[in-house]
Amino acid sequence: MSKKTNCSRGILLLILLFPLFTFAQTVITGHVLSAADQSPLPGVSVTLRGTKTGVSTTVDGNFTIKAKNGDVLVISGVGIATKEITVGEEKDITVTVSTNNKNLDEVVVTALGIKKETKRLGYAIQEVKAADLLKAREANPIDNLAGKVAGLNVGINQEILASPVVLLRGNNVTFYVVDGLPINSDTWNISPDDIETFTVLKGPAASALYGNRGINGAILITTKKGAKNKKGWTVEVNSSNQINKGFIAIPNVQNQYGPGDNQKYAFGDGLGGGINDADYDVWGPILDGRLLPQYDGKVDPNTVYTTTFADGSFFKGHIKPTPFVARGVNNMQHFLQTGILTTNNINMSSVSDRSNVRMSVSQSYQRGITPNTGLNKLNFNLYGSYDLSSRLKVEGNLNYNRQFSDNIPDVTYGPNSIIYDIDVWMGADWDINSPDIKNYWPAGGGAAGVRPTFAEYKHYQNPWFVSNEWLRGHYKNDIYGYINLNYKLGRGFEAQVRSNVTTYDVLRTEKLPWWAHPYSQEYHNHGNYREDRRSLWENNTEALVKYNGELGNSGFSLFAIAGGNARNFKYTSSYTTTNQLITPELYNFANSVNPIQSWNFNSNMLVLSAYASVDLTYKKYFTISATGREDKSSALPLAHNAFFYPSVSVSTVLSDYLNLPSAITFLKARGSYANVKDGGTTPYIGATPTYLNSGFPLDYGGQYFSTYGGPAYNLSTPFQSSLGYNNLTVANSPANIVNPNIVPATYSNYEAGVDLRFLNNRLGLSTTYFKYIKGPLQALAKISEATGYTGYLTNTTKTDRSGAEISLQGTPIQQKNFRWDVLINWSTYREIYKQISAGYQFGRGYNVHNGDRVDLLVGNVEARTPDGQLINDASGLPIYLPIDQAVGHGDPDWSWGINNKFSYNNFTFSFQFDGMVGGRIQDRVLRKLTEGGRGANTASGKMGQARFIEAYHFGDPGYKGAYDANGKAILAEGVQISNGKSLAFDANGNVTNFKDLQFATNNTATQWVQDYISSYYNDPQHTMTSKTYAKLREVVATYSLPTKWLGKSMISRVDFSLVGRNLLYFFHKGFKDMDVDQYPGRDINNNANKEYDFQTPTTRSYGFNINVVF
Amino acid sequence: MIFNKFSIRLSLAAMALLVMSSCKKTFEKYTANPNQPATVPPSLLLRSILNDMYAEKDADGNTMNTPWGQDERDCQFTISNYTYYDHNDYWDGVYHTQYAGLSYATLTNVLNMEAAAKLGAGGSDLNPYHALGKFFRAWFFVNMSLKVGDLPMTQALQGTSILTPVYDSQKSIFIQANKWLDSANTELAAVIQKGVFEFSGDTYYADLLGNSSTPALIKWQKVINTFRLRVLTELSRKAGDADLNVAAQFAAILGNSAKYPIMTDMSDNLQYVYNSVTNRYPNNNQVFGTQALRYNMSASITDSLASFNDLRVMMIAEPARGLGFSDTSYRSFRGAASGLPLSIMAAGVNSNSTNIYSLIGRHRYYEGLTGEPTFLLSYPEMCFNIAEGIARGWATGDAESWYKKGIFADMGFYGVVDGANTVIFQKPSGALGDDVSYTVNFSYADYYAQPLVKYDAANPAHALEQILEQKYLAYFRNSNLEAYFQWRRTGVPGWLQGPAQSGYNNGGNIPLRFQYPINESTVNAVNYKTATQSQYSGNDDINQAMWIIK
Repeated sequence: MSKKTNCSRGILLLILLFPLFTFAQTVITGHVLSAADQSPLPGVSVTLRGTKTGVSTTVDGNFTIKAKNGDVLVISGVGIATKEITVGEEKDITVTVSTNNKNLDEVVVTALGIKKETKRLGYAIQEVKAADLLKAREANPIDNLAGKVAGLNVGINQEILASPVVLLRGNNVTFYVVDGLPINSDTWNISPDDIETFTVLKGPAASALYGNRGINGAILITTKKGAKNKKGWTVEVNSSNQINKGFIAIPNVQNQYGPGDNQKYAFGDGLGGGINDADYDVWGPILDGRLLPQYDGKVDPNTVYTTTFADGSFFKGHIKPTPFVARGVNNMQHFLQTGILTTNNINMSSVSDRSNVRMSVSQSYQRGITPNTGLNKLNFNLYGSYDLSSRLKVEGNLNYNRQFSDNIPDVTYGPNSIIYDIDVWMGADWDINSPDIKNYWPAGGGAAGVRPTFAEYKHYQNPWFVSNEWLRGHYKNDIYGYINLNYKLGRGFEAQVRSNVTTYDVLRTEKLPWWAHPYSQEYHNHGNYREDRRSLWENNTEALVKYNGELGNSGFSLFAIAGGNARNFKYTSSYTTTNQLITPELYNFANSVNPIQSWNFNSNMLVLSAYASVDLTYKKYFTISATGREDKSSALPLAHNAFFYPSVSVSTVLSDYLNLPSAITFLKARGSYANVKDGGTTPYIGATPTYLNSGFPLDYGGQYFSTYGGPAYNLSTPFQSSLGYNNLTVANSPANIVNPNIVPATYSNYEAGVDLRFLNNRLGLSTTYFKYIKGPLQALAKISEATGYTGYLTNTTKTDRSGAEISLQGTPIQQKNFRWDVLINWSTYREIYKQISAGYQFGRGYNVHNGDRVDLLVGNVEARTPDGQLINDASGLPIYLPIDQAVGHGDPDWSWGINNKFSYNNFTFSFQFDGMVGGRIQDRVLRKLTEGGRGANTASGKMGQARFIEAYHFGDPGYKGAYDANGKAILAEGVQISNGKSLAFDANGNVTNFKDLQFATNNTATQWVQDYISSYYNDPQHTMTSKTYAKLREVVATYSLPTKWLGKSMISRVDFSLVGRNLLYFFHKGFKDMDVDQYPGRDINNNANKEYDFQTPTTRSYGFNINVVF
Repeated sequence: MIFNKFSIRLSLAAMALLVMSSCKKTFEKYTANPNQPATVPPSLLLRSILNDMYAEKDADGNTMNTPWGQDERDCQFTISNYTYYDHNDYWDGVYHTQYAGLSYATLTNVLNMEAAAKLGAGGSDLNPYHALGKFFRAWFFVNMSLKVGDLPMTQALQGTSILTPVYDSQKSIFIQANKWLDSANTELAAVIQKGVFEFSGDTYYADLLGNSSTPALIKWQKVINTFRLRVLTELSRKAGDADLNVAAQFAAILGNSAKYPIMTDMSDNLQYVYNSVTNRYPNNNQVFGTQALRYNMSASITDSLASFNDLRVMMIAEPARGLGFSDTSYRSFRGAASGLPLSIMAAGVNSNSTNIYSLIGRHRYYEGLTGEPTFLLSYPEMCFNIAEGIARGWATGDAESWYKKGIFADMGFYGVVDGANTVIFQKPSGALGDDVSYTVNFSYADYYAQPLVKYDAANPAHALEQILEQKYLAYFRNSNLEAYFQWRRTGVPGWLQGPAQSGYNNGGNIPLRFQYPINESTVNAVNYKTATQSQYSGNDDINQAMWIIK
């Protein structure tokens, strides 16, 4: 009890110490309200006619001004009809003005949940109304932000429960704030039906008040509150229903050649007892109806069937050969099912003079396109506020989210993956819907000793068996909530105390059945059971004092806050696994053949912060804001654990005081600087054993990364203990040394921009240029391993990330019944090394230099002659350079999104295109499909020709490989060294001895096409592509029932929408096995990768949405 | 402005200080990592060091160690025939990294083990860990130096206090290694003499001897001296160097078995024993489908054994049935040349009727989970090293007798007995475990009487070659890169290389060394340059000879 209380008490004390200000008397006070809905209008100019004296209304629409009887107040502003009021006896006046543009967008939520006028902001911010995201949904609510905000690139990952990469100016942001208080979010626990707006703070200047956590910007969420109406209450029902059907990205396979290696295949037992019948590639014989023993052939123990191959070799077995034909064309399409995504929400709110209550329940069900996979979500949200007095207000919000699934698919490379089991390594010789495959248990079913039927039993799995028996469960409770006490002290002062909790507990289970045989478990097949449990708890308690007022008659007005926050964090996790099951289908730790293995990990963190912010506005000319925050974090070494985060920004609305051409309605210039620090924490945490350096205990599949934000303990150097020989504990000395004087990484951010509106707000333009000097970062400098250590963790690397964002908003057509709105977002960024420690390398041996891009991709590259010809070895295979070479960049050159919205009477129609240009990626599915011989490309063009020749001439006396009738090796390319010398390389991998080498045209075919292709295509040159793509992301057509139809019924509004997502995907032909959506540049750890893992095919999505308001 | 940045900071910091002083204890508590230890007993580090002796890693972190790692391809025991999984190229930088994996991290464990042991022993260095620490230094420095040449030694392992350690010459490393081994022997004898000590974590001997410390340390003392014989043997090309004094040291060890106990039989082997739960033999019934057809036997070992009519070949390999001989005919055992294109080998193991290359023995290596123990330092090798030393005239003794001891000890390891033997092969087209067995008679005397095997005392050069050839056979699937080091030092056995053997990207040549870790050229550039200049004309080249083989 005592410590926490002490801390909080201290913070309170701190606030009380905050110095008071003097302020001026006012003569007339007033409120400006919108005629349409009586809502207060902030930022409205109130001037005395004929003078230069003037003020602006506050966030609450209030103003105070000195005036005498008979003076005329001119009320004017962007988007409102100018109104004049003559001052009379009344000292408290209310002015109602009509607005000519409902989308004024003048007030936004900023850091700490404080509302500010956009015109006074000196940094970039963009807002998205959640209502726009509710109709055509993605399973993950954050995915819906794709293309809607300039500078925000959402890497949509279609795998169930996968976290999207949310890149703000290229930095992955995991910082979500609800009504001013930070939450821990995996993004799946956000319920868009309960959100009013998403506000994207794009840079550190905007989020500097959050200190370390706001380093990459922030996504602020404002929850929905009850809306005032005559009835006093509102009930709203929203139902969204979509199906996933029609593939936009799916592996492209050939169906002419069957499984096997080197033109031979015969099923013996599927375990290696036949000819290439275990762990084969798809380089077997042509599926031309030839008779071969197959997995489902009839077994006759009394007959020996001899299968003779073209090379004279033969196979003898008891399975009667049957025609080898393509029974399984489109196995993948036939396996996958129509996905479903439904979300239903009902919410009720009531507003009275003193209270505001809203209750909301959402239920969401996602059926995966992979059979027997899916996700359920329940969300309960409660908001309430009550004015205890005219000065004291209490409000609170609670969100409970439950995610549960008995099976989520894991498509990452391995025997767990349907891509692996259907497309990459299996041929078209078996039919996925054949009864013996679909009902995989042979007679008797399911028990030990009965192996599920498939065409191979060593390396690959029956996909139905994987989906129905090898189950990965996910059960997560996620809760966040806050309580907030607000007291108006008077004279412009306001005090606030609030506290929140954000907590989750998650259980992930894996039921590995008997007979599933991942790598290294081919024979025992005794299954396993695993539990991965993680639990996180965090509390933020904050006290804040605000002041808002004029500074005498100086013309300055001041908005100031000061506060303090205590953040308490605790995380515990464990991971336990059996070591083979005794009894099948009993998934319990007591059912382990060998002793169970278990790991646990705990962490605690305390961060104490004090902060202040001052906005100083001089008349209508400018606003200067300065913020400062001091964080003291237990995640940093004791000696250097407190750091300061300053920011300053300036904005000026030039159109308020300059005579500009009449076409310009509004012109604002802004600029900001911020300095933020980072260190000691990590945003994600993986499976517990991995974190303890014990490695991931599975040799297949992906591991779950949950959102964390706690101590990384990377600044301490303990011994690493793990299980070694015979399960005995071993210890290893730390591999790295940490500089005892290491300080947090520092980012300096500079930003400048202009906001412009033309033609009475018909056209708006917002541009921002930004620059981050990141560094010195905490980075592992390479040191000579002879020191006994491999790395020295110290402040070394510096990078420079700069870029720009442009948002263009317009209303090209605005007529009585018809209106067309368009929003275009464009953004770009690029990051280069400014300072890099010696010996820092990418890939194998590529030395990184100053000036290199941070997202540089490297890979093995073929040796080529000075005139660009490929150099092959004597066997006709390409020679590679010993040092990796640059093969492109991961970040896109730029990203774009275009939203269009047409309204005609009760109809609205909107659609969004977005995409990116530039950036490169190696297509892993294509690479594996090609290597494995299943890719459609291996049966067409030159590869197809070579394959065909091999298939028809294999076994010919003296057959040496695929040569055409003229003796030309079909696949051979480039040259071979003809004078017996070998290539010599320098330290960068360049060939140094061209003068000693002679070359002759390469006309050598490998004996087998498969050896050539699997070698030639296993490199970035031949399977890499540009990530440039475009998507028709979203289409929504809505019809609102005319109000007159509803008449006096209980119902006040009915909207019916037809929706579509992912309808068109424009990408390079030949690479459409990959949906590049999820690769926007960096991964969740801010790394640029050349190649990513497999992905489930992606589909179009169609559906409808009904919204009824009572 | 009312506040400037500085005063804000100052006042915030002052106020924060006030608040935070009360939370100081919480900070101290939370800053420490609760999940991992700051100190560990020496036994935990010993286990790790012992494992590192076995699990050799290349610079990319891949396990190289025999059996089954890249070492096995480099020593021409088994060969990959399948491009998807592997390659037979040496470390040409393309398929296998050309940079040496070094053991300095393990040596840091050695230092920390010694420090922890000293604490536990009340400040005394007279403890088993300290004695073994000297042995580990010798073991790892010798192995590292055999890969690259000169290396930092005297200035190494000092952490940040010497970030750019200078290189010591390979010669001085070997001189120092012998000194370490000599004093390790002396110290360990003293520890055993003292009789009271704490010693645990020894997974090679003590754990298997029922946690019995003294007998285990006696075994370790033998390992130290036996290893010293290997180190001296490695110096055969420098036997004339007075500073090294190879012959005298060799003779001293052989001449005083009380002071320098050496291995006396197979029970003394320093070996890694597999278990079925946590440490399986790399080939086993769980990986049969992945591996069994993808690798075949190499001609270097198979064809030698077959030509000697050596029954060991039937224990370690399957008959190549496509050759058309009976399963128990030595002519059925044939390996492929390591340099052959993989395509051609794949055809040679593709089915029984075209199977012209032997696969490794399924019964021995794949049916179970524990395979056979893997030697790190073996009694047979020691016998051959002694025979080699005597044959080279370093000490007096009966070379032939040691030669014979080596051969028959190794035969014993494979269960080859004098008389009726059972050999077991997988049936043609059979599944794993579906075997056929034969009885084959084998006579030690007849075997030894063959001209190819019988010690050719009349022709010392040939006799030496015979010793080396048999030593190579005894290295099958063990002792990491020792077979390669021997080939490099002596040219025995004559390995297949050259441009015609197109599997090598290195111009058809087997490289003579590894390159230094890639970081050295940038983070320790000056010393690296000096070292490569003095040894390899400034070029850190895999094809240049290092001092020890010059």
